[in-house]
Amino acid sequence: MKKLAVTAFMLAVSCAAQNLADVLVQGEQVFAKSCATGYCHGMKGGSGGAPRLVGRHFDQAYINNVVARGVPDTGMPSFATRLSRADLVAVVAYVATLNGIANPNVGPGGTAPLTVSRPALTGEAVRGARLFTEAVRGFGRCSTCHEVGDIGTSVTAPIAKVPASTAELKALATPDVKTGTMDVESMPVLVLSQGKQSTVFYDLTSAPPVQRNTEPGLVRFTDGSNWRHSSVIKSYDDSELAAILAYLRAVIKP
Amino acid sequence: MMVRMRFFLILFTISSALAQDAGATRADWPHYGGTQFSWRYSSLDQINTTNVKALTPAWMFQTGDYAENLQATPIVVDGVMYVITARARVFALDAATGRVIWHYEYPEPPRSVPGFVGNRGVAVGDGKVFFGTKDDYMVALDQKNGRLLWRVNIDDARQCGCNITAAPLVVKDKVLVGGTGGDGAHRGYITAFNTRNGRLAWRWYVIPGPGEKGNETWKGDSWKFGGGAPWLTGSFDPALNLVYWGTGNAASDFYDAERVVAGADKSKDINLYTASVVALDADTGKLRWHYQEVPDDLWDYDSAYEVLLIDRPIRGRMRQTLIHMNKSGLTSVLDRVTGEFLGTFSVPEVRTWISGVTEDGKLVGRNEPQLGKTITICPSAAGAKSWNSMAYSPRTGFLYVPVNEICNDITPNDRAPEEGRGYMNGEFPMKLAPGRTTYSHVDAWDPVTGKRAWSVPYKYLLLASMLATAGDLAFTGNPEGDFFALDAKSGDKLWSYQTGAGNRGSAVSYSVNGRQYIATPTGWHVSVVGALAQSLFPDQEWRLGSMLVVFALPESSR
Repeated sequence: MKKLAVTAFMLAVSCAAQNLADVLVQGEQVFAKSCATGYCHGMKGGSGGAPRLVGRHFDQAYINNVVARGVPDTGMPSFATRLSRADLVAVVAYVATLNGIANPNVGPGGTAPLTVSRPALTGEAVRGARLFTEAVRGFGRCSTCHEVGDIGTSVTAPIAKVPASTAELKALATPDVKTGTMDVESMPVLVLSQGKQSTVFYDLTSAPPVQRNTEPGLVRFTDGSNWRHSSVIKSYDDSELAAILAYLRAVIKP
Repeated sequence: MMVRMRFFLILFTISSALAQDAGATRADWPHYGGTQFSWRYSSLDQINTTNVKALTPAWMFQTGDYAENLQATPIVVDGVMYVITARARVFALDAATGRVIWHYEYPEPPRSVPGFVGNRGVAVGDGKVFFGTKDDYMVALDQKNGRLLWRVNIDDARQCGCNITAAPLVVKDKVLVGGTGGDGAHRGYITAFNTRNGRLAWRWYVIPGPGEKGNETWKGDSWKFGGGAPWLTGSFDPALNLVYWGTGNAASDFYDAERVVAGADKSKDINLYTASVVALDADTGKLRWHYQEVPDDLWDYDSAYEVLLIDRPIRGRMRQTLIHMNKSGLTSVLDRVTGEFLGTFSVPEVRTWISGVTEDGKLVGRNEPQLGKTITICPSAAGAKSWNSMAYSPRTGFLYVPVNEICNDITPNDRAPEEGRGYMNGEFPMKLAPGRTTYSHVDAWDPVTGKRAWSVPYKYLLLASMLATAGDLAFTGNPEGDFFALDAKSGDKLWSYQTGAGNRGSAVSYSVNGRQYIATPTGWHVSVVGALAQSLFPDQEWRLGSMLVVFALPESSR
């Protein structure tokens, strides 16, 4: 009985050790890809352009915090939304070993970094997510005006209701788009604010939209516009628009 | 016959004088490179070799933004200085006294925005002050009062891994800017906006898309992430209506198997238009000609640096030239009308990446990093010169160049690209070049003969720009905080002032009410090459800061 218990204990220990070894291998890989790159921390944290991470006597909570939140006013970004939770735990554990912590805590009770959970995308939605932000479309991509999943410029209010079909998307009514007139020039606009100090609006004449700040009274707004959503999504074909809608349906809950 | 000869002589003298005038600043310092010809040369000569010893601080200005170093080139127009700090705090100062006229603070981007904190300057034109931001906006302020007029988003830093650290360039009714990101999986571009309303005028992608000439030099989809980011500021020749810009390295930096075609035709394995200097039509952004300095760049030898437009006789014929150095220190002399190659010279004393260059500019004996091996390459990816600009004096005919003698041990890898993430594909620890005891030198080079006239060694790195003046002085600063003046003809050190913090900015000269000033940004920090310098000299504690120090001759001695 006692022997059995000892065996079970040893098994548990070796499982934990195995788990830790795997996590550290994963952490080293994540580190190589995300932290050692460029002019940053260098191979195995030995310093590149950014500070050396080896032998700095950092404790795990500190590493956790810096990795998850970043360091303000430096090139060190927050990785909370850039890495999966598993990768975050792994890379924190790996950096801990560079600082003499032989057995970093990688369990569920450990000091797991703050992460933002993202819904897992499948099939069409994956394709849609790529299309939404696709760089080769230049300013013709959706993310020029919409921020979804922390990517894009929030020219518009967050998308709250996803059109049911590509036809509906193309026919989208945009009552917020007005006509602004400055001197003799008219332009389609989205008004952001009209205060005592300034009037702030987006000029939608061409992509990308330009945020303009003027003194109050210099621009006059009237309802209605000849601007159409259908004319700014022309870089996409119907199949691509359908994929984008699938993506939006997956990430935007009514 | 004699009369006719004299007429030609006069004509020649006038045309060369005109050409020289176009590159020199006068009372103002209107553009990043001084003028749009980017000489960083002032025609002011009140401060000169005989009286520079008396140079003394006239005023100083603490920006209060100590997050990173002060790298900006101050712009001076009509007695007002416009300067931007690392975190995009913009000041308009009385250039004679340092009094704040207005102040604008750009809202800090969220911490989730990755990239470099740093800014190399504003541009002024059309009654506006323009600057780029870490979160990839082009911003226009009212030059009179600092009021925000418009801002427009260029890209999403969270996706592209790119930021704007360069000063924009105002060209007629447009404002142009490039971005960083070329060491990541990103496709670089230059974007032009109308100064009046911020609307997009044109965009030129460094890497041609499918169907465009040059795309055939990229394997498969590698053009989408091939780098080439033009991360500094270009030049403009109004007579030719051409904008000149240097482009960045190909990505991935140290490994090319995924980006070169590798077919039978080796001439295709060049990755256009990375590591090149390009001439674009100022109105349309269309490519007029290109000259690639590092075909299939495997050493991170960005060609993103400044472009000097200089008219000089070459082999008996007056030429409109363009002088351009890339990180390797190889410097091209081109005809800026046609892009014709006229000559080249190499500035570092230790060079192992090639064995030489042919008469027509072809690289010979390329020493290329290879997978599974570590090789020492000189100069390093930090550059024989870093981003800090050289200067040119038409009086001496010399270029003034801060040269660093660093090598790196490159170990490439073959990681796959991920959009906006690091894509250097290699480790490259740096060290002093073999056989040397000093890490840098300030040189004077004649770009026509390709000969070095003089060289002054320095023990650490040199990361501040040069300034040349008609007083036959060449100014720069060092990490220890010494801002100093050399005799432009001989290199003799004539004056030095301890500014209290390391120098990594770009000094300028201007005058207000007849008094000449020399202004230099000061303040060390660790961004990119600063951290490299720090890692090479771990015992040195170069002082941080963010202050303008402005010198003039004492009122009594003028």
